[in-house]
Amino acid sequence: MSDLPLISTPPAAEAALVDRLRARDQSAMTEFYDRYSAALYGVINRIVKDEDEAADVLQEALVKIWHSMAGYDHAKGRLFTWVVNISRNLAIDKIRSLQHRVGSRTQGLDDSPAAQRQAAPDTFRPEHVGLQEITSKLVPEQRQVIDLLYFGGFTQSEAAEELNLPLGTVKTRARTALKILAKLIR
Amino acid sequence: MEDYQEYIESGRLEQYALGELDPAARAEVEAWAARHPQVRQELDELLTGLGVYAEAHTLAVPAGLRDRVLSRVLAEIGAEASAGAASPGAASIPAPAAPTMRVSASNPRPAETYTPEPVAGSRSGWAIAASVALLLSLAVNALLYSRWQQASTDLVAAQNSQARFAQTSQVMERRLTSTQEQLHVLRSPQEYKMVALAGTPAHTSARARVLYNGASHRVYLDVQQLPPLPAGKQYQLWALDKGKPVDAGVLAANTAAGDSLQQMKDIASAQAFAMTVEPTGGSVGPTLDTMTVIGNI
Repeated sequence: MSDLPLISTPPAAEAALVDRLRARDQSAMTEFYDRYSAALYGVINRIVKDEDEAADVLQEALVKIWHSMAGYDHAKGRLFTWVVNISRNLAIDKIRSLQHRVGSRTQGLDDSPAAQRQAAPDTFRPEHVGLQEITSKLVPEQRQVIDLLYFGGFTQSEAAEELNLPLGTVKTRARTALKILAKLIR
Repeated sequence: MEDYQEYIESGRLEQYALGELDPAARAEVEAWAARHPQVRQELDELLTGLGVYAEAHTLAVPAGLRDRVLSRVLAEIGAEASAGAASPGAASIPAPAAPTMRVSASNPRPAETYTPEPVAGSRSGWAIAASVALLLSLAVNALLYSRWQQASTDLVAAQNSQARFAQTSQVMERRLTSTQEQLHVLRSPQEYKMVALAGTPAHTSARARVLYNGASHRVYLDVQQLPPLPAGKQYQLWALDKGKPVDAGVLAANTAAGDSLQQMKDIASAQAFAMTVEPTGGSVGPTLDTMTVIGNI
């Protein structure tokens, strides 16, 4: 898919950037910023739901990525997967430390599938077109589970409790959804 | 002999992908993945799926914030690189104003120290002229600096909107390709046989059609009307080959709504197609009493 350049970059293309970051080349950080910041910011913003806080977390994440670069092992996964995990963890720590937890739970459910679908026709927001196309491959139940697990920072058992579903159902939905998504870039 | 299939089914890999595991459990998953290529492949698939979902949420950093974040990051990592450098805050203050300040601070002072002398008249005249020139220069500098800042903000905004346009045209291009593909399917009656699926007695208003290419085995589905689904269910298409049902894939939400054609799984041979309602994700065999539409080739 042409609008998912990061997850579909061949691993070899990432290697050069990784080498330069490891060599403490600061211009590599600017390049990294230009290529990855929008994707990382999108995830962080979805979790903390506040522009300024999201920018702070993004800054924190970039500094952490710079310092942890030596620990990245391409055999264990893609660069994008690794950096997005660092960002996501920092964002989830942030909402937990701010004790946003209770607030964002209810909000997270309210604004997940249904609300976004209603909002769509009002304005044309190109940055969300890819999202709509991708999530239209998922049924709302799958998307709800993935949203809770990925953006809400819930464990599968917590999600089962929150949604009042058997744990097995949550696991099946998460797994099926991830497989559907993975097929999109084959 | 370890049973990797059982390990794959255990749900451990999903926990790994979602970051639910402690370091010891992570190491265990990685060891399994290293021993069994099947586990590695499954894990990669899950990680890719999450990556797709993450990247789908891509959102340009707002113009004002982009500058702030990048300069702070560079200041922070730069400050650590050069020993004894100033704090990140100080390092991010733009440089242009500084040199003029230094010139201004050192120049007027000699003039002032000479004022007590008898011939102060002409000297103080020069000092006043120098101060006026200095004030003018400061004012012009301040003006130029604010314009320069404004220009760089404008540039960032322009870059952002250019990126947005590029993104839009990519999306449009992809839609066009998919529309052309669908058009090709619809306009090639000799390649694609049209199979009308009519509603079963329980769902008389339901209608859909399958476009089937027996040579390439491709199957497309076009929904005209289907009853709404209860929660947790999904439509699934079946090919009937010599009376035996073969899974042809589940319908995406927008296909079931009739928004677009969907390419289904390839089917080698079939005499009829039918659709049933199955739990989300599909079933191995059809639940016959939920059959909604059926049609013979």
